[in-house]
Amino acid sequence: MQELLYKKFSSKMYGVCLRYSGNTDDANDLLQEGFIKVFKNLLKFRGDGSFEGWMRRIFVNTSIEHFRKKVKLYNVTEVQENTIEDTDLNILDTLAEKDLIILVNELSPGYKTVFNMHVIEGYSHKEIADILGITEGTSKSQLARAKGVLKKSLEKMINKAGNNTINT
Amino acid sequence: MQKFKEKLYNYEAEPPFEIWQNIAKELDGGDNKLASRRGFRKGSKLVFYGFTAAASLIIIFAVSVFFDASKTDPGTASNLLNQSQNILPKQIQDSLNLNNKILKEIINSAKDKNLLALNYEMSSRYGKKYLTVAGPECQPVKISPKVATLIESTDNEYPPKPVWNKKIEKWQQIMLGSTLSPTSTNLLDVIQLSATLDNNE
Repeated sequence: MQELLYKKFSSKMYGVCLRYSGNTDDANDLLQEGFIKVFKNLLKFRGDGSFEGWMRRIFVNTSIEHFRKKVKLYNVTEVQENTIEDTDLNILDTLAEKDLIILVNELSPGYKTVFNMHVIEGYSHKEIADILGITEGTSKSQLARAKGVLKKSLEKMINKAGNNTINT
Repeated sequence: MQKFKEKLYNYEAEPPFEIWQNIAKELDGGDNKLASRRGFRKGSKLVFYGFTAAASLIIIFAVSVFFDASKTDPGTASNLLNQSQNILPKQIQDSLNLNNKILKEIINSAKDKNLLALNYEMSSRYGKKYLTVAGPECQPVKISPKVATLIESTDNEYPPKPVWNKKIEKWQQIMLGSTLSPTSTNLLDVIQLSATLDNNE
């Protein structure tokens, strides 16, 4: 049964681990640690929500725990308001998930964690603050900085794509 | 941001094959640990019950013996009390009192070694094993009469003991020429001293 569960969910959960870790070595460790937690706590699943959701929370928490030990988040006072929405979003449609993962993984660990938690997982800033032991302001500023960095990366991509089109 | 979420929320990637093997191994190991821990708990429960039963039997036996003895000889308990009161001979009691007196006086005046020597002399008469003297913090310390002799021999005033004085002088010379740091409370120093003296002889 455990192997069946692993086969069914491992690729999805590995995606979560890769998003938070940024490298395959850490992602492998997280996947292993996460599945062991899942199997040891299977009886605690009360069936309130979806099983996948419960499992995903375990993997997100495992990833956060793992990186909370390594990363100290500092409050960034300079909050940039013009964010990624201002840029040409059509390029996002053309980018593959794998490229987006690379883009997200270029963020510093602090920005990446907050970005993943807020934008992808849907945690509120208050929840992020509670989980990571930071203030809501720090969470917001980290997200704003993360968006700023992503925006620059996307703009570079757009410019590169434009140049390539002109050249061809 | 919604586009990021749409694309990345369900992102999937194939993990390396060996991860499942590692997980399976760890789960097997964990189960074994769990099983052995349960075995240990079961074992420790049995030991606990065994000890409880043994202790109960001992208590029952002791109580029954006590009541049995008091039924057969009602005067035994009072006899035992009288015996315990008379268990210390008067001479030993006197020696203990003298010890306490000396201790008090040593605490008040650390120089009163004559009393220590006097008590030492009496100790041989009463066959006492220990003398009580004041330690470096004025705490009571039990020492053997031989050590008392050694201490008093460091003072040439009373009573002169040429053999010990000679030994002490020799020891002082040896220790002055060595890197050892002896203390009066350190048994190892005494052993070291004895070994050094033997070697030199």
